[in-house]
Amino acid sequence: MASPILQVRNLRTQFATDQGLVTAVDDVSFDLYPGESLGIVGESGSGKSVTALSILRLVPEPGRIVSGEVQFRGTDLLKMNDEEVRDIRGRDIAMIFQDPQSSLNPVLRTGYQIEEAMLAHKKATPKQARERTIELLRKVRIPAPERRVKDFPHQLSGGMRQRAMIAMGLANSPSILIADEPTTALDVTVQAQILELLADLNHDLGTAIIMITHNMGVVAGLCSRVIVMYAGQIVEQGPVEQIFESPQHPYTWSLIRSIPRVDALRHERLRSIEGIAPDLLRPPSGCRFHPRCPFRVEKCFTDPPPLIEVKPDQMSSCWVTMDRARKEMGADDLVDIRPGAGSGVHPPEAR
Amino acid sequence: MATAAAIVATPIEPEQASLWSDAWRRLRRNRMALVAAVYLTLLVAVALVALVWTPYRMSAIGIAPTYSGPSAAHWFGADELGRDILSRLMVGSQVSLIVGLGTQLLVLAVGVPIGLMAGYFRGWFDSVVTFVINVFYGIPDVLVAMIMVFLLGPSLNNIIIAIVATRWMDMARLVRGQAFSLREREFVEAGRASGARPFKMLFGHILPNALGPIIIQATLGIPSAILFEAFLSFLGVGVQPPTPSWGSMANEGVQAIQYAPHMVIFPSIALSLTLMAFNFLGDGLRDALDPRSRR
Repeated sequence: MASPILQVRNLRTQFATDQGLVTAVDDVSFDLYPGESLGIVGESGSGKSVTALSILRLVPEPGRIVSGEVQFRGTDLLKMNDEEVRDIRGRDIAMIFQDPQSSLNPVLRTGYQIEEAMLAHKKATPKQARERTIELLRKVRIPAPERRVKDFPHQLSGGMRQRAMIAMGLANSPSILIADEPTTALDVTVQAQILELLADLNHDLGTAIIMITHNMGVVAGLCSRVIVMYAGQIVEQGPVEQIFESPQHPYTWSLIRSIPRVDALRHERLRSIEGIAPDLLRPPSGCRFHPRCPFRVEKCFTDPPPLIEVKPDQMSSCWVTMDRARKEMGADDLVDIRPGAGSGVHPPEAR
Repeated sequence: MATAAAIVATPIEPEQASLWSDAWRRLRRNRMALVAAVYLTLLVAVALVALVWTPYRMSAIGIAPTYSGPSAAHWFGADELGRDILSRLMVGSQVSLIVGLGTQLLVLAVGVPIGLMAGYFRGWFDSVVTFVINVFYGIPDVLVAMIMVFLLGPSLNNIIIAIVATRWMDMARLVRGQAFSLREREFVEAGRASGARPFKMLFGHILPNALGPIIIQATLGIPSAILFEAFLSFLGVGVQPPTPSWGSMANEGVQAIQYAPHMVIFPSIALSLTLMAFNFLGDGLRDALDPRSRR
C-alpha cells in the first residue's frame, strides 16, 4: 500500500473553560491514504469535529492543540507558521461544513466565492477562475452553471448550496477533502445525492475524503475505512465492511444497532444507547464507555483499555471484545440495553 | 417537433440584476427614501449654485430693513444686520454638507478599520481599542472639540477634525460589534479553511456583511455632525463670521424670536428637512442593500 498522505499522531486538543480543562481530542492517532475515504463517527461531543479542525489548525478559542503531530506529506502542520498553514488550507486540504446555509457568505455571489478560493492561492487568472468555476459547478451537477455563478447563496436551494460548497472545496484540486457532517442539514433525498456525488468525486478525482458524521449509514454508503470516536478517544477503527460485520467494541456495536431500518418489524422499537454522552470535564474512570456499557466487567471501572489490533487491520479498545462477549454472554440474542426493556431482539411487549 | 426543440433551446432568462442595480430598483420603490434623495440632490445643487450665484451677496449688510419678514424681494426676509436670509441659507448649505459628509467620510476611514480589526483579532488590540473608546466617551465631547479648535484654530477643516475626534467611537464600536459577531459565523470559518488572508477576511467577507448598519450609522452621523457644528458655531468656536452656517443663523434668530420669528424658522426648517432626508435615505438604503431581504 502507498504511504499515508496524512498521519495524525497522539493529537490532543483541550478547551480551557470556566469550569475546567476539557480534553476534546485525547491522544488520537490515525493515517489517511491517498484517494481513500475515511469515516470518523461518533456522537455529538465525541471530538470528531475538533479532530478535523485540529488538522487544519482552525480550533476556535478557547481551544488549543496541546500536543501531537499532523504529518502532511512528511511535514508537521502543527509546526508550520501561520503563512505556511494558510497555503495548505484550501489548496491541499479543503474543508466543507455542516450547514451550507451559513458557510457561504450571504452577500457575495456564489461564483465569486468559488473563484476567490482559487485566486487566494494564485492558482488561476481571474478569467481562468471564472471558466473553472463553471466547470466545477457542472461537475457537482448544478444545472445551468453559467447562470448560477451569478446567483447569491439565498437564491440556491439547500442541496445546491452544499454542492457549491463542495465545488469551492474542490477549487484547487486538493488531495484531501474534509467533510464535516455535510449532509446533516439536508433532507434525505438530497443527502443521498450529495453522498453519491462525494463518492463519485472520490472515485474520479482521487481526492481523499475524511467524512465526519454521526450516522453509521452514511459511513456504510461512502467510506472504505472508519474510525469510531467516543469521549475524545478512538475506540475502534478498521475497514467498514469488517466493522459492520463484526464490531469489536460495544459502542460500535450499539451504534450499528441503532441505525433505523426500513425492513425492521413494525413492532420493533428504535434502539438507542442507554445513558448520555459523558461529561468531558469529569470523564469516567477506566474505560470511558463503561457507565453505558452492557458488557462491562470489574476491570472496566478502573483501567483504561488500550487500542490494540484485535483482527487484521481492525483496532479496538475494549477489555471484553465483542467476540468474547458473543461467545460468553450470547450478546446478540440476549442483551437489550434499553432501559426497562426485556431481553431479546424482539421485544415481547409489542403486539 | 421543431417548435418544441426551439422552446427548449431558449430557456427564460431570469433577471440577473447586479447587487447595485437591484438595490437601486428597490430604493425607487421606497417613496420616502426617493423623496429624501430628490431633496438631497436639490440641496447639493443649491450648494453648488451658491458657489457662483446667490440672489444677493450673503455678507451685504443693510440691503433690506433689519428684521424685516418675507417679501417679494427677500423671500425669507432679512436678519438683524439687514442681510438676505435666503442667500445666507444657500451658502450655509455648503457648510452643512461639507461638515456632514466630510466628518462621516473621516469617521468611516478611522472607525471602520479599527472596529474591524478589534472585533476580528480580539486579544490585546481589542482591549486597547475598547479602552481608548471608553476614555473618549468619558470626556465631554464639547470639551474635546473646543480644546481641539482652540489648539488648531477655528477653520472649517479643523472643525471637521474636531467633530471626528468626538464621533469616531460610535462607528468603531458598531463595526467592532459587527465583526465580533460575524466572525463566529460559519462562512468566516469556511473562508479561513479555504486559506483566505486576514485582510481578505476583514474587507472581503466581514465588511460587506456589516454594510447595512454602517450605512445607517453614517447617514445618522451626518445630521448629528451638522448639529454639532451649529452648536460649536454658537459657542463662537465654529465657522467664523461672516460665513453663515444654519446653526449660527438659527442661534442668532433665537435672540430675536419674539419680533422676527422667520430668522429662526427658516434655518430650522432647512436643518430639520435635511436631517429627516438623511434619515429616510439611510433607512431606504438599508432595506435596498440587504440582499437577504430582497424579493
